[in-house]
Amino acid sequence: MRNFVFLLFALIAFPVTALAEVNVFACEPEWGALAKEVGGEKVMVKIATTAQQDPHHIRAKPSLLAAMRKADLVICSGAGLEVGWLPVLLQKSGSPQVQTGQPGNLMAADYITRLEVPVTVDRSEGDIHPEGNPHVHLNPHNVALVAAELVKRLASVDGANSTVYQSRYADFSKRWDAATKRWEKDAARLRGARFIAHHKSFTYLLNWLGMVEAGTLEAKPGIPPTTSHLEALLEQQRKNPARAILRTPYESKDASQWLSEKTGVPAIVLPYTIGDDNQSSNLFTLFDRTIVLLTETSRGAH
Amino acid sequence: MKTLSYGVALATLLSTTVIPAYAASDADVAALRKEIQAMRQAYESRITDLEKKLSEVERTQTNAALAPAAGPAPARQSSVTPATTSRDIRDNSFNPSIGVILNGQYRSFSEDEGDIAGFAVGHEGERGKEGLSVEHTELNFSANVDDKFYGSATAAIAEHDGETEIELEEAFVQTLPGMGLPTGATLKAGRALWTLGYLNEHHAHADDFADRPLPYRVFLDNAFNDDGVEFTYVLPTNFYSEVGGGIFRGDDYPFGSASGDGIGAWSGFARVGGDIGDNQNWRVGGYVLSGDTSGRLSNEDVVNFTGDTHLYAADVRYTWAPTGNPREQEVLLQGEYFWRDEDGTYEDTDAATGVVPFNDESDGWYAQAVYKFLPQWRVGARYSQLSSPSVPASLAGSALDSSGHDPKTYTLMGDWTNSEFSRVRLQYNREELAQGHKDNQFLLQYIMSIGAHGAHKY
Repeated sequence: MRNFVFLLFALIAFPVTALAEVNVFACEPEWGALAKEVGGEKVMVKIATTAQQDPHHIRAKPSLLAAMRKADLVICSGAGLEVGWLPVLLQKSGSPQVQTGQPGNLMAADYITRLEVPVTVDRSEGDIHPEGNPHVHLNPHNVALVAAELVKRLASVDGANSTVYQSRYADFSKRWDAATKRWEKDAARLRGARFIAHHKSFTYLLNWLGMVEAGTLEAKPGIPPTTSHLEALLEQQRKNPARAILRTPYESKDASQWLSEKTGVPAIVLPYTIGDDNQSSNLFTLFDRTIVLLTETSRGAH
Repeated sequence: MKTLSYGVALATLLSTTVIPAYAASDADVAALRKEIQAMRQAYESRITDLEKKLSEVERTQTNAALAPAAGPAPARQSSVTPATTSRDIRDNSFNPSIGVILNGQYRSFSEDEGDIAGFAVGHEGERGKEGLSVEHTELNFSANVDDKFYGSATAAIAEHDGETEIELEEAFVQTLPGMGLPTGATLKAGRALWTLGYLNEHHAHADDFADRPLPYRVFLDNAFNDDGVEFTYVLPTNFYSEVGGGIFRGDDYPFGSASGDGIGAWSGFARVGGDIGDNQNWRVGGYVLSGDTSGRLSNEDVVNFTGDTHLYAADVRYTWAPTGNPREQEVLLQGEYFWRDEDGTYEDTDAATGVVPFNDESDGWYAQAVYKFLPQWRVGARYSQLSSPSVPASLAGSALDSSGHDPKTYTLMGDWTNSEFSRVRLQYNREELAQGHKDNQFLLQYIMSIGAHGAHKY
């Protein structure tokens, strides 16, 4: 018993060598990619989820506890997206500096204008987020705002390398602004186009490009599509069809395909985040691919 | 001459085409001017109206505040008394998260008795009530105390033997990372569902089956939640590893009647876990709980044990998402093994055995598999078995004599989970708890939560 206690203290007291890299814990792949853009070689990024996984429904599994233990900076979407698992990780193995409200805790939704903030909050409305829609990354202006905050946080967590972060951010910012203009130009013809989405995952994308959400397959967020709601959508689509039915890689194809077959409206999978297909391996190509898929569909529809 | 007349004709043509346009635009401008005037007048009058109304409201408010109306004043104003206007609700913004778990079951058994042969069980470990019944209703309050502590209390309102009791399931405080302990270290004190095996630290409403497996029923009376202190530490290793231990009063089953002097029981554990690829993860742990009691009553206070109990447990949990998305499909495999060594005396007052020295071991285990085949639908199977200790001759025929039978249960379940907050489950048990005992049970339960519902552990 005494040996065990001694070993325990030896482990605790073991000098944590000042590693060259800042350990960044990113809840979702898009923030991991942003951290890599701004941090470069100075950061070691651990991404908690993959493009195949629904970020609402993640288990606080052992590997995430171990990763949080080492984290110097946590970057997530926020607005309640990770409320089912992130608090357990932060409480059990997070350091003081990554706790909510501290410099090492960056919730993207806090730095952008949130859409769909509910007036009243009740669970009969489904899985709604009191803070608003948390799927904030699909608007490049939002990404730019989060990047601006991220460079400040990296500088506060790792002051020694702040010039590196500033210069990387300046470079990223220039390329990102140019790319954003290009995307807006390429997607100009999508203004006013109507799309159906499986879940409210594309609200910020549709809002950015002036597109219209013609409905969701889920009658209420978080509740899988029901036959009655799909029938109602079918009726509505017959009168005024949308350009396409959008879903993320992790959403089931059944409802999308059913509606697509009945109405002739194409059902497409947008990459949504990084890592699903080879063509969306970083933030730039994610938006490139998304715009291409949307504009191709529109062309096909006419 | 001709060119001049052509020129005049052209000029006339042009002027007739051009001048009307100018003339039209003059009229248009005048009309626009008129419209703007009208708009300006309309808005100005509306603004003055609003300003009047606002000053009226302000006046009436100050009047009401200054002078509580006396005499034949209009009813509306007189009801605004100082007592009502000055009622000051303080500190609502720091109210704790409040959650309630609502839980009911319908059970049907084919056997009248449900005693587990060879083991003396506390009242939680016995099988539930037959028929329709409301189960434990849990009330939970939790919040951060300040920058260093977090507190939570869970009370369960339940009915046992016709009496409604309020059981304190958990009432603890624990340190927050702001406390200054090394990262990953947590100290928890009070009454809590301590870290022991897989199921013990989870509330029963989060279980994958409607009842706890045999080892939990006989070794822990469903859950060990004594009063005490526990320290846990997530080690700074690349893979997940955690160690911890606690000291307890020694009042909760498998202990009891703690006199309060000294430490009644202590525990220790170690866990490791990790991922296999993106879609699989696992965790194993080893645990020990050891202590003594000067009187542990069970089987409706008929059986009394005095002495030392040493309990060792191991658990393994594995989850796999076949499609990569655990929301759509998931497989969970879980198992635990318990080994108990008791050294003391037993007495069965019903069988009038007298106080009998007892020093033997018993063990038990369970294994379960749950398959979520659709986002809201799961099926599961579980097998659970105990091997009862051999009893000395003086305990023959008592509750502790299993006549060589090893209790076992087979379980199948299916559940529908509409959201993280509601679940309905149908379960079939075949329990063979004693010689000749074959109980076919059907259980239908609902588990629903309202209010705050914290994140679940792994």
